[in-house]
Amino acid sequence: MVQEQRAQQGINQIVVFQLDNEYYGADIAVVREVVPLQRVTYVPRTPEYVLGVINLRGRVIPVIDLRRRLGLPVRAATKATRIAIGEVDGDQVGMVVDSVEEVARVSADAVEPPSSLLSQLDREHVLGVAQVGDRLITLLDLRQILVREERKTPVAQ
Amino acid sequence: MGSGFEITAEDIRVFLDEAEELLQTMEAGILRLENEASDPDPEVIQDIFRAAHTLKGSSATLGHQRMAELTHAMENVLDRLRKGKASVTTPLVDTLFRCLDALKVFKDEIASGEPASVNTDVLMHELASLEGTADAPTASATAAPAPAEAAVELPALTAAQQAKVNEARARGHQVFQARLDLSPEAAMPAVRAFQALLAVGDIGEIILSVPTQEEVENDKVGSDLKLLFATGESPEKVREVLQEVPEISIGTLAPYQPAAPAAAPARAPAAAEEVAAAAMAPPAPANGAAPAAEHGNNGGGPVRTTRSGMRTVRVDVEVLDNLMNTVGELVIERTRLQQVLSWLEVEREGDELSQVMSSALAQLGRLTGNLQEEIQRARMLPVENLFRKFPRMVRDIAQKAGKEINFIVRGEETELDRSVIEEIGDPLMHLLRNAVDHGIESAEERVAAGKPPAGTVILEAFHEENHIIISVRDDGRGVDPERIRASAVRKGILSEEAARRLSDPEAINLIWAPGFSTAQQVSDISGRGVGLDVVQKNIERINGSVEIRSVVGQGTEFRVKLPLTLAIIRALQVELVGTTYCIPLGSVVETDRIPTSEIQTVRQREVIVKRGEVIPLLRLAEVFGLKRAEDAGEPEEIFVVIVAVMGRQIGLVVDSLIGEGDVVIKPLGRFIGEIPGISGATIMGDGDVAIILDVSSLVNSVQGEAGRLEILAQ
Repeated sequence: MVQEQRAQQGINQIVVFQLDNEYYGADIAVVREVVPLQRVTYVPRTPEYVLGVINLRGRVIPVIDLRRRLGLPVRAATKATRIAIGEVDGDQVGMVVDSVEEVARVSADAVEPPSSLLSQLDREHVLGVAQVGDRLITLLDLRQILVREERKTPVAQ
Repeated sequence: MGSGFEITAEDIRVFLDEAEELLQTMEAGILRLENEASDPDPEVIQDIFRAAHTLKGSSATLGHQRMAELTHAMENVLDRLRKGKASVTTPLVDTLFRCLDALKVFKDEIASGEPASVNTDVLMHELASLEGTADAPTASATAAPAPAEAAVELPALTAAQQAKVNEARARGHQVFQARLDLSPEAAMPAVRAFQALLAVGDIGEIILSVPTQEEVENDKVGSDLKLLFATGESPEKVREVLQEVPEISIGTLAPYQPAAPAAAPARAPAAAEEVAAAAMAPPAPANGAAPAAEHGNNGGGPVRTTRSGMRTVRVDVEVLDNLMNTVGELVIERTRLQQVLSWLEVEREGDELSQVMSSALAQLGRLTGNLQEEIQRARMLPVENLFRKFPRMVRDIAQKAGKEINFIVRGEETELDRSVIEEIGDPLMHLLRNAVDHGIESAEERVAAGKPPAGTVILEAFHEENHIIISVRDDGRGVDPERIRASAVRKGILSEEAARRLSDPEAINLIWAPGFSTAQQVSDISGRGVGLDVVQKNIERINGSVEIRSVVGQGTEFRVKLPLTLAIIRALQVELVGTTYCIPLGSVVETDRIPTSEIQTVRQREVIVKRGEVIPLLRLAEVFGLKRAEDAGEPEEIFVVIVAVMGRQIGLVVDSLIGEGDVVIKPLGRFIGEIPGISGATIMGDGDVAIILDVSSLVNSVQGEAGRLEILAQ
């Protein structure tokens, strides 16, 4: 499986964050930085999970609601809410997460392929599940999440 | 050539830049030759000759043999023209044009690195026969080397140098003095001078050179290179070796006669090649460094500067783009500081601190303004760079269409941002093709209509307020609204009834509809499936607009309105459900408060009537699906921003007007992609992001609705 291969090639360090009381992780090479939640300008005619755009040091960066993107229930922001800035192929995209926990090391053999337990998530977005200490961490494939297939086609009203 | 210089990517880039300029000079020159065939301007011939010569030199450096050979053959023909031994005929001009085309292909070949199939044999043959048409050829280039020439001014020899001269003579070698002129166009004169030194060094011994080899290696060269050298080779061989070096010409090559420099005999008539070479050379140092830029009057030649007066540098476009972006961010930060100041002023009631800050900010504002202006200016190019290629194109299209066209270009000096120039080339080309192909009638038709047989097409650029207008105008048949209506019905774009209801200007504007073309016969030029809708789209993509004005029987004018620069635009800021949106000011006609009672509806669409015109309304909040926190009910008045695209007006309903200002356009990025109605975003003074509206797609969205044409026709 491609996903297994990807997982085994080794995510060494991951950024761990929370969404809906569960732990998720993303390759630290893809997450550029984490910034506090800031004012997001709504962009009309975009998919529901696109919250809008922010000003990141003079650059205009789109921000998505990772809960919505993954089909989790929507929740209001709290003090702990953060925007994790990911970068894929030179394009930066911000993801709103409930909180950012830590940076953890994960060895390749601690990663298991996505199980059927995670069926509510779009399985193509998940690389696998890793155990770090007593936490189970779902490893997200940001390369899949931060690239819109329908990029070219405008979103109709 | 064994010069020991490797050809780098940079060399190729310099060559391509230079070749482009030279080809354009040649093209402009040949066009002028054709127009003034009976009385050609010697300056023009000289320009073409010089360009061909330079190109010959630089292509030989790159080792492009075919290009060098072809330019050499062209040079021979041009030389005969220049000497009055041949006259400007149609076959000659045609051949020159075909050579030019071949040279362009060669240039592309060098750029792409992919070999192109061009048969130069035919061209070479044509050139050779052109050369042979007049009187018998004069003595060939190498046959008669000048026996004696003016002495070269050399510094007095040191004892060691004198010893070398004597020694060489004792060995039976001949000692020569030479002045080699470096072409003023040479991109790398020091390299050429060094090549010449190496070439001479290969066949003999250099006793003295001005500048010295060390100076040459340190890039310290003037307009020529003076040499004293000894060699066992014949003068012919020396000449041959030196002619291998591109971009230099042999000013003087004579045996060294130190005893009687003043008694040098008068210069004997030299061979054709050599006169040509001498004419290429800048004036000898004794005459002073006269600027060589006079011949560019209106021939459109590149600006030339003498070596000592080198005042320009080539800068990578990317550097300018980065500078522009940085300045854009500086402008944003300045606006932010301005905001801090206004807080300070409120809180501290104009105390000393806020006063100091205020004056510092005013100064900063002035400086950033200057900086922005200067960088914008550095990015400006005269449209001449773009317009230059059109006369040739119009000529070719006219020839193919069997029409006689008088093509007039005006306002070439008008300057535009280079990115705008890049984008505008194709649309203009299409409009010109359209004018020649469809606008101008055949000669018979014109005569029958009482017009002169030759049609006139005018391409003109000029300033208008904060914009540049480029107008393409013809005195042809004009756009017939009746024919447009018929065509629209035939193509199923409109019902017959709807078509009948259109006013004439509305009917004419149908030419912008996708897939619409009134060409009765498809030519291989205009009928390529690229319609005027694409032209319009390309122009709008750079925040420009295009309008058509036409009078049946008198002609058509396309007016392209362009922003001075792409990255920064003036925008009207409006509020929609608590958020700021920007509307490019270029498309705003007016803003108005309209009592809700004046809104009428026509077939479910809200409209207002202004000065007798029916203007459809677009409630932006609804169009964008913006939810209001609470439904405040219908206000008594609405704010309407009336925008126009190609004469079509619509009213955008907004919550309030905030003001206007310069905004730096930033893309929304690939993740969000293209959104109808939105062209980008900008960062406001308070650091928030504001969305910039795309007016033309909003107007089109109204236009696209069924029944819209009926509304307008009522």
